[in-house]
Amino acid sequence: MLTCDTYHMPTNLRDALEIWSGAPEGSSLISGATDILPWAREGRAGDVHIPSFVDVTKIKELDGHTVANGRVRLGANTVYQDFLTDASLRHLLPCMPYCAIWFADDQIREQATFAGNLANASPVADGTPPAAALNASLELARLDGGNIKTRQLTVSDFIVGPGRTLLQPDEIITAVSLDAVAGYGGSFQKVGQRRSLVISVACCAALVKADSTGRYFDDLRLALGGVGPRPMRLTAIEARLRGERISHRTIDQAAKLAADEVASRSRQEYRRDVVIGFVKSALEEALENQPDIDVTYEDLGETENA
Amino acid sequence: MPKLKIELDVNGRKISRETDAYKRLLDFLRDDLNLTGTKEGCGAGECGTCSVFVDGKLVKSCLMPVAKASGTKIETIEGLAKPGDLTPMQKAFHKTGASQCGYCIPGMVMAATSALRQNPNAGIEEIKERLGGNICRCTGYTKIFEAVELAKAVIAGDMPEDALNEDAVGDSYIGHNVRRLDAPSKVSGRLRYAADMKMHDMLQLQVLRSPHPHANIVSIDTSAAEAMDGVVCVITSADVPDDTDGFGVFVHDQPIMARGVVRHVGEAVAAVAAEDLVTARRALSKIKVVYEEIAGVFDPEDALKDGAAIVHDYAPDNVVKHIPVRKGNVEAGFANADIILEDDFSTQQVEHAYLEPEAGIAYVDADDVIVVISPSQNITHHRHMLSHILKKPINKVRFIMSPVGGGFGGKEDMIYQGMLAIVAMKTHRPVQLNFTREESIIASAKRHPSRVHYKMGLKWNGEITAIQFNMLSDGGAYGMSSEGVMRKAAILSCGPYEVHNLSVDTTAVYTNNTPSGAFRTFGGMQAQFATESMMDMAAEALEMDPFQIRRINMMKIGSRTHTQHTLTAASLDRCLDAAEKESRWENGTPNVRGDKRSDLGGDDTRAPCTLGARFTSGKNSDKERVA
Ligand SMILES: Cc1cc2nc3c(=O)[nH]c(=O)nc-3n(C[C@H](O)[C@H](O)[C@H](O)COP(=O)(O)OP(=O)(O)OC[C@H]3O[C@@H](n4cnc5c(N)ncnc54)[C@H](O)[C@@H]3O)c2cc1C
Ligand code: FES
Ligand code: FES
Repeated sequence: MLTCDTYHMPTNLRDALEIWSGAPEGSSLISGATDILPWAREGRAGDVHIPSFVDVTKIKELDGHTVANGRVRLGANTVYQDFLTDASLRHLLPCMPYCAIWFADDQIREQATFAGNLANASPVADGTPPAAALNASLELARLDGGNIKTRQLTVSDFIVGPGRTLLQPDEIITAVSLDAVAGYGGSFQKVGQRRSLVISVACCAALVKADSTGRYFDDLRLALGGVGPRPMRLTAIEARLRGERISHRTIDQAAKLAADEVASRSRQEYRRDVVIGFVKSALEEALENQPDIDVTYEDLGETENA
Repeated sequence: MPKLKIELDVNGRKISRETDAYKRLLDFLRDDLNLTGTKEGCGAGECGTCSVFVDGKLVKSCLMPVAKASGTKIETIEGLAKPGDLTPMQKAFHKTGASQCGYCIPGMVMAATSALRQNPNAGIEEIKERLGGNICRCTGYTKIFEAVELAKAVIAGDMPEDALNEDAVGDSYIGHNVRRLDAPSKVSGRLRYAADMKMHDMLQLQVLRSPHPHANIVSIDTSAAEAMDGVVCVITSADVPDDTDGFGVFVHDQPIMARGVVRHVGEAVAAVAAEDLVTARRALSKIKVVYEEIAGVFDPEDALKDGAAIVHDYAPDNVVKHIPVRKGNVEAGFANADIILEDDFSTQQVEHAYLEPEAGIAYVDADDVIVVISPSQNITHHRHMLSHILKKPINKVRFIMSPVGGGFGGKEDMIYQGMLAIVAMKTHRPVQLNFTREESIIASAKRHPSRVHYKMGLKWNGEITAIQFNMLSDGGAYGMSSEGVMRKAAILSCGPYEVHNLSVDTTAVYTNNTPSGAFRTFGGMQAQFATESMMDMAAEALEMDPFQIRRINMMKIGSRTHTQHTLTAASLDRCLDAAEKESRWENGTPNVRGDKRSDLGGDDTRAPCTLGARFTSGKNSDKERVA
């Protein structure tokens, strides 16, 4: 059971940072509460008393999103359901609807924030592979002599290990910025113990762009979650496939290479098998989901064409 | 503690209240506004019994601090229809029989309502996906999905409104769709389960549980807890008469609270009654218990070994119950066999996970009658046991069965009602105990984990000549229903097959694991898993069709059962015919068909689980219709 003395709901960033920097020791930021509330239960943290909660969800500066210089800046109040319901986000971040659909359920997605998911730094958070694939960076704000100062950290620098981040005690995450990749095909793969309401055992995000002929990999992004303490971007495989003729054989080879890179402590064999399947289906689905381009596979399409 | 001012609109009513800053929207609705149609099945976002609309979006109210709800418009199950009326969705749930125990139903109705508000044309896969956050343990979901599809058709005008009315019943109820009498109370959220009931001046009880599987209790110091403001009393086994303390479905081996020794993790050691829940929980941490850990036994085979830790002094061999069944001459049967198969089968512990966690109220009425209200599946026996334990005449103990939000056998054991009664007697105030989900899992009985060693002799023609069936079950720390479960397992052991020579032994032993008890099929599942697997393996060994080997051995009218009962009715032949037809069974030995089987796949089989039914197509993502 979670108890607190005070629950603050500041409506602007300055107020929030003031309350937060003056909050008693042991206080906590809270956004969707979907990690915090279940954490304070028997078998996990047990009964917890928090002096003050500073709820960030009414801070207006944290709402909405903007696009500039090829990046999407998501306000920290962006929730997972937005990736399904907001047409502009679906267009700009084509892997996110597929990630969101596997995330918890329709109800939790209305509350759970993308920023909270990254801040929680679980090794199996569904948000981390897409964040790695889209070169995410976090915008962190704090008060410095009465002025609001912000800094940017890449998600791979920000997440240090399971449950550990570089967030400083007086800082608030104000936004997450990601590469805008409209026109790519997106995909997300996840294995868990059931369909809804389940934390991943492992997950994988992919973004693919074929060239205009639909025959060659123009660009691609691949990242895995749940296979190590931090999300793993498969840059070597991306580089190898870039410019390659699209074929099932090439994809199969890439999938095997990905499995070799997996360094998980537990259930390694199982994860190796999963990774092979993931990379294969993630690439194939992302190719299939690419808008406006019909992809032809060398070892399938060409024989059909002949 | 400082209060928080909350102003919001609930079901069209303007509300302004001061409440505790730490409350969740769920607590505020249930405790402050008495809107108990919204339930707490898990408190952790996993079950959906707490779903409500906040500004038109469905959320889980157990995951929402109440402060967030200030200034919003809330809609709960109570607000969907006007008093005395039901929405088409609620009527559809009534019509299709979608509510059973009903505990998940308010949340289900909310989720179904949300699904159709989001997309009135949602197809069945999308409906399933949108209901994915809500769990039902009773219905298997089929009737719930039927209800949503029916409501969808009526709302869209594709079916007339009177499609929601009760079907006419012909000469017989059998073969007709008859609506459940209690469904309106469940689909409207009006039915009160034990945790929904409130009485004036009621205390809240919380239980301190053992962290050890086997330990002597050296001392319990409750003084610091008792000294706390708001704590009304702390009870331990010292408050229960020691010469009568003991309950159980068969053997009365379990004290109301641990007496001198704890035998499993989660066993009740002490309990605090306080003016409110938070005080009761804080007081638990002030109780000091000194334990002396002792060797335990955690595997049923170890429990039978010489020198094993003894769980109960009355049973130095750790045996709860051994049920032997003998028929014919097994040695002769095996000697007569053309082939003998031998194998081992094991099944694991299973939690019932009824959506309603255990809950109850006790009070002493003006005539000194101790009244216990709880979703007990065995109230008459509980009443008799409690009257004996408390040394009260039977007419001074009353048990009232509150609606059971799912039991499946798991609510047969009197694991908390005794504590409630004792507090009511000590304080003369009503007292309530609501388990958390975690507490329900740690403290309630489980399905018996079992191991079966199986030996089966057969003729080349498929006829069984003899069976030797030996089952060892982990009964856990207390007897509970083990005796009955072993009896049932023994009776059903060799399945619905006529076996002339058999030797069956089922044994449950004490260990320091969570107690095992009653669970749907009561031992039958474990036995049938072994027997039916064995039948398939026998079919394979004899190169026979699995239906054929079952028909050769099945009990018919005139057959003698394992326990020497002559049957005057039998229907396995018809069951097998129906199963064979409906499954479009492809005849043949189980291992010769590879992946070319014609009876797999097809319209009436379930596709593998996937998500994303709401994406119409990956192509042209602008046209993607997402939510
Ligand atoms: C039933 C259930 C199913 C779930 N399923 C999934 C799933 O499928 N995949 C998955 O990845 N996760 C899942 N989760 C976990 C959880 O929902 C996510 O991690 C969610 O994104 C957390 O976001 P939140 O806004 O609710 O965070 P909160 O619980 O509010 O906070 C989480 C952490 O982030 C910090 N924080 C929040 N906002 C800020 C900020 N602006 N600045 C600095 N720190 C901040 C908080 O202090 C806290 O430490 C599930 C949870 C539940 C209960
Ligand atoms: S989801 Fe809220 S009580 Fe289970
Ligand atoms: S009717 Fe759904 S849990 Fe009982």
